[in-house]
Amino acid sequence: MEGKQTGVYLCSGCGIGEALDMDALAEVASKEFKLPVKQSECLCGDAGVKTISDDLENGEVNQVVVGACSPRVMADRFRFGSTQVVRANLREQVVWMQPAGEEDTQMLAADNIRMAATQSGKIAPPTPHEESVESSRVLVVGGGPAGLAAAREASGAGHEVLLVDKADQLGGNARGRTALTPHKPPYRGLQENDIESDVQAVENDNRITVKTGTTVTETSGMPGQYSVTLSGGAQEKVGAIVVATGWRAYDPSNLGHLGYGASPDVVTNVELEGMLSEGGARRRSDGNAPKSVAFIQCAGQRDHNHLPYCSSVCCAVTLKQALQLKKADPETMVYVVYDEMRTPGTAEEFYREAQEQGVIFIKGSVKNVGSDLQVTVDDHLLGEEVPMSGLDMVVLATGMVPNSTDPDQETPEYGAEQLDNDINPESPIKVAGYNNGEPEVPERPGTAPSGGPILNLQYRQGPHLPMLADGFADSHYICFPYETRRTGIYTCGPVRRPMDMAEAREDAAGAALKAVQAIHNASEGAAVHPRSGDLSFPRIGYSACTRCRRCTVECPFGAIDEDDQDYPLVNPTRCRRCGTCMGACPVRTISFDNYSVDMLSSMIKSVEIPDEFDEKPRILVMACENDAYPALDMAGINRAGLSPYVRIVPVRCLGSVSLLCISDALSVGYDGALLLGCKSGDDYQCHFVKGSAMAEERLSKVGETLKSMMLEAERVVQAEASIADSGRLPQVINDFVKEIDDLGPNPFKGF
Amino acid sequence: MTTTSPQATRKYDLGFARWVYENVDGGDRLALCMQCGTCSGSCPVGTQMDYGPRKLFMMIRAGMKDAVLSSNTLWNCVSCYNCVVRCPRQVPVTYILHDLAVVAVREGYKEAVESDNARFSAAFNFSAERYGRTDERIVTGKFYFSEGLSAGFKKGMDNMKIAWNMVKTKRMPLGLPHKIKGKGELKTILDKAREIEERHKGGGKGN
Amino acid sequence: MSDQQPRSQTILVVGGGISGVTAALEAAEAGYETVLLEAGPSLGGRVAQLNRYFPKLCHPTCGLEINYQRIRKNPRVKVFTMAQVDGVSGERGNYSVTVKTSPRYVNANCTACGACAEASETKVADPFDYGLGETTAAHLPHEMAFPMRYVIDPSVIGTPEAQKIKDACKYDAIDLEETEQTFDLQVGAIVWATGWRPYDPANLTNYNHASLPDVVNNVEMERLAAHDGPTGGRITRPSDGTEAKRVAMIQCAGSRDLNHLPYCSRICCLASMKHAAYVREQYADAQVDIYYIDIRAHDKLEAFYNKLKVDPQVSWIKSKPSAIEAGPDGRPVVKGENTITREIYAAPYDLVVLATGMEPSVAGEHLPVNTGQDEYSFVVPAQPAEEGVAAAGVASGPLDVSMSTQSATAAALKAIQAVAGPAR
Repeated sequence: MEGKQTGVYLCSGCGIGEALDMDALAEVASKEFKLPVKQSECLCGDAGVKTISDDLENGEVNQVVVGACSPRVMADRFRFGSTQVVRANLREQVVWMQPAGEEDTQMLAADNIRMAATQSGKIAPPTPHEESVESSRVLVVGGGPAGLAAAREASGAGHEVLLVDKADQLGGNARGRTALTPHKPPYRGLQENDIESDVQAVENDNRITVKTGTTVTETSGMPGQYSVTLSGGAQEKVGAIVVATGWRAYDPSNLGHLGYGASPDVVTNVELEGMLSEGGARRRSDGNAPKSVAFIQCAGQRDHNHLPYCSSVCCAVTLKQALQLKKADPETMVYVVYDEMRTPGTAEEFYREAQEQGVIFIKGSVKNVGSDLQVTVDDHLLGEEVPMSGLDMVVLATGMVPNSTDPDQETPEYGAEQLDNDINPESPIKVAGYNNGEPEVPERPGTAPSGGPILNLQYRQGPHLPMLADGFADSHYICFPYETRRTGIYTCGPVRRPMDMAEAREDAAGAALKAVQAIHNASEGAAVHPRSGDLSFPRIGYSACTRCRRCTVECPFGAIDEDDQDYPLVNPTRCRRCGTCMGACPVRTISFDNYSVDMLSSMIKSVEIPDEFDEKPRILVMACENDAYPALDMAGINRAGLSPYVRIVPVRCLGSVSLLCISDALSVGYDGALLLGCKSGDDYQCHFVKGSAMAEERLSKVGETLKSMMLEAERVVQAEASIADSGRLPQVINDFVKEIDDLGPNPFKGF
Repeated sequence: MTTTSPQATRKYDLGFARWVYENVDGGDRLALCMQCGTCSGSCPVGTQMDYGPRKLFMMIRAGMKDAVLSSNTLWNCVSCYNCVVRCPRQVPVTYILHDLAVVAVREGYKEAVESDNARFSAAFNFSAERYGRTDERIVTGKFYFSEGLSAGFKKGMDNMKIAWNMVKTKRMPLGLPHKIKGKGELKTILDKAREIEERHKGGGKGN
Repeated sequence: MSDQQPRSQTILVVGGGISGVTAALEAAEAGYETVLLEAGPSLGGRVAQLNRYFPKLCHPTCGLEINYQRIRKNPRVKVFTMAQVDGVSGERGNYSVTVKTSPRYVNANCTACGACAEASETKVADPFDYGLGETTAAHLPHEMAFPMRYVIDPSVIGTPEAQKIKDACKYDAIDLEETEQTFDLQVGAIVWATGWRPYDPANLTNYNHASLPDVVNNVEMERLAAHDGPTGGRITRPSDGTEAKRVAMIQCAGSRDLNHLPYCSRICCLASMKHAAYVREQYADAQVDIYYIDIRAHDKLEAFYNKLKVDPQVSWIKSKPSAIEAGPDGRPVVKGENTITREIYAAPYDLVVLATGMEPSVAGEHLPVNTGQDEYSFVVPAQPAEEGVAAAGVASGPLDVSMSTQSATAAALKAIQAVAGPAR
């Protein structure tokens, strides 16, 4: 069959047939769009599905419009290989929300068919990009516990691995650790530091190439074909990257208030660890073994003047070191001054073990540490200030600073903005209605991380991996903790968040999987999370491109670079297919095979606009397909009423909505447009991270456009919608319809 | 190991705490206390105590021997065991308090020796050892007069009406106190108890 | 194993909560066939029942929807609901698994039109709402259910109502004769992700969860705050439906307790802070008291703690309450000692929320797979290790959602190594 032939299949089941005039609906497709139409009483039943598959097999059609239930249901029934299937939602968003048999209900259904038929006309089965996978090798940066584990795990899955470590020796911070906190039942005893066996295993693994004393000086390319330059100048090709650069201790010279520097016998937990590995704790002043030792927890952590976060592992590390001191000499008096003991999970057993061994825990805050090692504690449980004297050693339990940058390199000027302008987990709660006043939490914790970039990405959007304001590598840290904003590059271990060695090793396995997965998908030309498997990718019409760079700036994933003539250069395997570039482009010259500004505009324009005397306004709702659209489906499941005047267009992300779609809508006579997207900002919920934020920014400038069209700014509004808004959303939309009603009809109507 | 618990030289000197861990019945679990406060909150007479058990335990850790052994917390426990069954760390609070009370008396803490409970216990023991049973007149008499002659008379007079009513309802006999049969066996039991106690003082906690 | 034996490349994931769904998808998206078994009628497990996640206060259904989209688009993932593992034999690369399915009484013809629910009159306690609300015997597990298919409560099977329900269905989707069935699967690796259940508050006799209606546990609180829960998201007193403005959160209700769960359940502190935010969001004049032993807000979750700490209407009382009893007006009274002020308190509340801990779903059970279990029934590697079996999520230890997905992703890799990696 030459060319495209769409078949339209209408279902009258689930009450659709009772509420709508199906023949009239069929005529919309057959007369207006000249498309073959078939009807079924139960399209998702075996007979209905067979009708479609037979037509496809017989070559009568090669694209399908299903006018039935929401695209969120029966996806497996209406999946016919790679055939493009467009779903016109007649059930959840029409007959379950509107009164049966009404003219307005029929008009809504007809418009949904028009939009679906138009959409089908504007899309084609995506042809995946042709870049091949040049290397399926995984680069692991960092040779500590996480990096070693990542290398072994990737190798275990059959991949070649290149492991580089800045140090001359593998093992990272774990080298020289005397023992580990327990992670095996019964979770009480110290565990042997087995880092050496990891190092051995890596060195004996013939799929793993190790380069110590090596850093990455430059990284360019994309998943499946990264070009990496190593210090020394060697060029390597790799398919994906795991960053496991770990942590460094917080600089104790900042901890003068806890006595660091006042006495040689005030040491950090890291320094004590060094002593323990060299035969035992010794006072630096006189070389004697300490008989009375106080550990001070949260030495810098949980302190907005230092590290705002909890380093998670310091409590357990202190327990371990306390037990080591006890083991060396059971008569040693060991105290732990803490604010909160944090031994989550089975580590509670370890806490009890330390208590049983006679370690004394004092809840309080340290007021002063004297040069004579007198520690003054505001003892919360005794309710008095307690001078602790007779101590031989004070140990400061310092925290972890992520090596998301290389502190040994200078902070380059380029990319500085990238470091200073990111997601801040400390920002106040912004929940609708949360009456919290203006909480006095600092806007930003500490200072922006400094140091050179780890990978030195040759990306338009800067050399660094995006990181949170507290310096840890950014990811979608609740549901999808590996999803960074740099596809194909995954972080694990303490560079991602503070964690112990056992957890870092598990984390490394997860990151290794993501690396392997990125290479696999690159080889198929398919997207990774969240539009996994999507074969479409942005194509740029260079003839129209004005080199305005909006797409390269706005892409949430840094997927688009600029070539030497400043034209955008898409790196398809970095792309996550959100369409933010498409929404950004002022000349609508970026499109996907199955998604484009032209498609959206044409769908919008396909709707029949009654003239102003009909008093039937038309409101465009563009809804994020992951959250707002399902919420509207659920409103339908709950049979909530909705204004029949709205026309809902699902979009990949609000970031993909071009203002041109809005102006097209207004120019054909829509009376208003409502954009429903996810929460943006520090507590963002957008699965494309910045999509809805970009839409917001664009929309903030729409007033000018509207003014030039002599229209009120209130006609175009963006509203925050979550997937749980099935109860609230109909009201939001109905209120908007009423506001538009009050403004009166769009004067462009009928032109 | 000394019979007498050591005095702390400074706050959080562990001498006293370790002595308690090793010498007081249930003291070995005291180290597990995580200061949650369930014991003090569960105590029906918690408001009558100088310190609830929780704080007392923290004071033991802090080496506050005098304050611990002179506190009335040791004497006001009514052995309801609410704290023991609720303690998330299974610390036998009741045993510890009772044994600390014994320590306080043994070490001659005035608040302990002169406490109602200590004097009552002495009166109780006096009657029990002599007659094999507790005779109300002997126990109360000895208890009342342990505070001194005039205080004894005053308390006796204050309770005269109750005493008379008890006699009338045959709850308290007149005449000589009854003795039990087999006093010799009782003596053997008590001697054994003394022997065990001596062993405890010697530092062991064996039975 | 020898290379001559036939090896299955299929990965079986047991448990359809966030960990199982994640493990199945991550393996499938790396190119492997996966089979996902869920004992209940829909996927999502415990997180589907949560109102929001800490610390972003976003809705779990958002991430679940992404995952369901991934499943819808991925023919490599096969989902079986109402299905459990009955027996496993074989070894890495070559397991034979017997799967047992319980009757749903609704087959794949179901269009989710809802006619059966309309015909259903009997009300049953809604398991999705932990019994706080009611639903009809024929019902959709919840509005976000995946697969979107109805289920019939066994209590009406054999009654005239069942026939009425069947007759109401136009699509021949009701099968009243359905029985428990078994089938066999050949798989190369198994990911065990059976998750957790809330510790039974009935064991905490001094907290009177059973006798005081206004004492709820943390999972029930999630339903009380959920827009699709029994109160439509209004946080009210179960006893009389009035606004719950004075609310207590009791930490370590079961956890860190040698008489109950000796370990720390990790999530409860944060969950209670989230609950405090729910209450404060609804009522400007609310007062929330959080009773705790240690507040455990690890890593960046400390920021969430900081956000709540600056709220003057959220108080932090370092105390493990000793009892919750009925006050003279029937309101629950929380009793205990404030360990900082040493005050003995007895404070009445509109609502008391017990931050009960997580217990492995398989606590006390012998597992059909070759794996170890620690004394709390968390799944740990077998000795010697069985390379074809990996545990994921809370089945392996008390984890939050983020750590569960991390663990599940790692387990997916272990499974891939077992089916595709070189023999070791």
